[in-house]
Amino acid sequence: MGTMIVSPNPHIHAPVSTKSLMRDVVIALLPAVIVSILFYGWSELLVLGVSVASCVLLEWAITKWLLKKPSTIGDLSAVVTGLLLAMNLPCTTPWWIVFIGAVVAIGVAKMTFGGIGQNVFNPAITGRVFLLISFPQQMTDWTVPGGFIKGVDAVSGSTLLGQAKLGQLIDFNALDTFFLNIGGSAGEISALALLLGFGYLLVRRVVKIWVPLSIFATVAVISGIFHAIDPVAFTGPLFNLLTGGMILGACFMATDYVTSPMSTWGGVIYGIGIGLIVMMIRYFGAYPEGMSFAILLMNMVVPLLNRWFHQRKYGRA
Amino acid sequence: MSSKITFSIGGVHPDDAKLARACATEVLPLPEVVYVSMAQHLGAPAKPVVSVGDYVKAGQVIAEPGGFISAFVHSPVSGTVKSIAPRKDLAGNSVTHVEIAVEGDEWAEGIDLSDTLVTEIPEDRQFILDRVKNNGVVGLGGATFPAHVKLNPAPGSKAECLILNGAECEPYLTSDYRIMVERPKEIVIGAAIMQKVLGGCRCVIGIEENKPEAIKSMSEAVASLGYPDIRVQVLKKRYPQGGEKQLIDAVMHRQVGSGALPISVGAVVQNVATSLAVYEAVQKNKPLVTNTLTITGDCLPVEKMHNYLFRIGMPLSYIAEVAGGVPQDAAKIISGGPMMGRAISNLDACTVKGSSSLLYLSESRTRRKSASACIRCGRCSDACPMGLEPFLLNRLYKAGDVEGLEQASAQDCIECGCCLYSCPAYIPLLDYVRQAKGMALGAIRARAAAAKAAAEAAKAAAPTPAPAEAAKNNEKISK
Repeated sequence: MGTMIVSPNPHIHAPVSTKSLMRDVVIALLPAVIVSILFYGWSELLVLGVSVASCVLLEWAITKWLLKKPSTIGDLSAVVTGLLLAMNLPCTTPWWIVFIGAVVAIGVAKMTFGGIGQNVFNPAITGRVFLLISFPQQMTDWTVPGGFIKGVDAVSGSTLLGQAKLGQLIDFNALDTFFLNIGGSAGEISALALLLGFGYLLVRRVVKIWVPLSIFATVAVISGIFHAIDPVAFTGPLFNLLTGGMILGACFMATDYVTSPMSTWGGVIYGIGIGLIVMMIRYFGAYPEGMSFAILLMNMVVPLLNRWFHQRKYGRA
Repeated sequence: MSSKITFSIGGVHPDDAKLARACATEVLPLPEVVYVSMAQHLGAPAKPVVSVGDYVKAGQVIAEPGGFISAFVHSPVSGTVKSIAPRKDLAGNSVTHVEIAVEGDEWAEGIDLSDTLVTEIPEDRQFILDRVKNNGVVGLGGATFPAHVKLNPAPGSKAECLILNGAECEPYLTSDYRIMVERPKEIVIGAAIMQKVLGGCRCVIGIEENKPEAIKSMSEAVASLGYPDIRVQVLKKRYPQGGEKQLIDAVMHRQVGSGALPISVGAVVQNVATSLAVYEAVQKNKPLVTNTLTITGDCLPVEKMHNYLFRIGMPLSYIAEVAGGVPQDAAKIISGGPMMGRAISNLDACTVKGSSSLLYLSESRTRRKSASACIRCGRCSDACPMGLEPFLLNRLYKAGDVEGLEQASAQDCIECGCCLYSCPAYIPLLDYVRQAKGMALGAIRARAAAAKAAAEAAKAAAPTPAPAEAAKNNEKISK
């Protein structure tokens, strides 16, 4: 009998790690990433590449030279942040703006707070909102360059939400938008691709459905009510569920472990909050889209929700 | 057989790895010497009643209960007492052991060693309780709580349901499975005896769905014996189904309050192996000196796996040797299951009544990875079968916030290991939560002691004579 391990129980561990969870999120994002590369071509590839590479490099550099701690890039969370940031940007975004977004996402929103698990705000969204405020022109330039596959009708200039804001929404076909929505960021290109990825996350039990479900339900109810009151001034539930960053935000950003509540009911309240805020911004705000702002605002409430809502305990009414 | 059920909060689904399921039980040959521990039950250690040089027979009492919560210990072999001295148990703690040099295999009088099935259940409740107590029966599901205490609830509490625990939810272990397949009738008779002693409550035998042969054999035994009000209930496979509180939740849809005993919701839970021991004690007058143990693990070829009928006091090293030696790539040897068992630091330790396995795990299977930062995924609280929030307990513990720990119910932790098992950051949650539980329990006990002292002081001041007997039954034991 050689040297034996005598650590306390449990003596086995589930086949799960931070890295495996993050890898699953990357896999889940792949369908949308592939579709966007196909339709937006080299420029999309460049945005994705610069974003992921900058996020990983920045995290590595910060842990090595500023924090002087072991590197955490192996957990793949920086890759996820990089992908999500890129998917929130127009494919025409110049590389240096993408890099600035990565600096804000990783450098400011994530590492300043102490790295993974410590940040209050979703890093990718923080980066995106910073860019939206700092570079409004580039961030709303939705011209569509030629992709590897020609888009069905390569409209350009504005997104569906943008048209709706100006009261210029000409033609919206829910089914078309569900499959392919040209003119927007990579994260808006296909509801189907995103939902496929989200389905994968659910099957793998990486995330739970409660947050996205409560966001969708709130959005559907609010837009349903407003649309019923005035169908001309207010867009309907299907439109609001399928356009903009709704699906990417609800399924991939609002479900971020670190910045969402830990209890089921906390998550439901969080989701309702996001749904409420995004609809208020879409209907009454200055911006056509408010998913990012809604998630960031609700991120701030998470510590409170964690304090108020707990899991049901055994044997305690 | 109704539909499958399970408990309502938390739980995990480890690979069940019941690799030794097909190995029929073999009887271990006797070693040259056994060392019988005086602390093989929950509660006070037993007090030896033999002296060095005495000749003892197998089944003869060698130690008496050392308190109300304690149990008799019998000699597992015949032979001469060589020493009564402290010896290290498998965790490395020093415990008094009676060393007996084995000579032949002569059993004490009055013990029925035949295979004849005795199906008639004694009418006299006290007779049953005495037999259970005098034959040293303790719970064999893990806690080794003296069975006669559990079967004799305090006046005023009534057992509605006897739950026989055949869940065997721990991965790898197959000893309960084997006895359910090989000796189902004896187990069912044991259950009927316990029903009798508990005043005729119903009995549910819970078995997880991954043991279809056991479900079949136990159901057939129940049907053929025809005792009233016993049935087999199939449970979904989910750890820790065999936890007392979880099993009560699954079977009775009731939850035991914090710090309360199962009897408070009308439940008595006994393991199937305990039921077998009760059968032998009551029907055969045979003391608890044998039990079944599984030799298994991920670094052991299936042909070297065994289910052994062992006698207490056998050195683990002896059993390992008989089974073919410790495998080369075993990095950890565990007594018990991989979720709640104890890592063995000392293979010279000996089997006790509650021994259930020698589990060899390889480095890759068992080595803990270094912890990284909490990503607040909430998997620990999703997994916790008590509905606790291990991440929060961890934080409160590190802050030394005893009051917060108590509020967050750290004292309710059952140490099942689900939190650490499911943590993607490999944070040693249970290591901390166990400490946290100790702190919370300490605070609760200190408060209770202070209240008791105050009450006694008040009583001493008043000149009324106090009834002393009632307090005795209120003694709370928690693991």
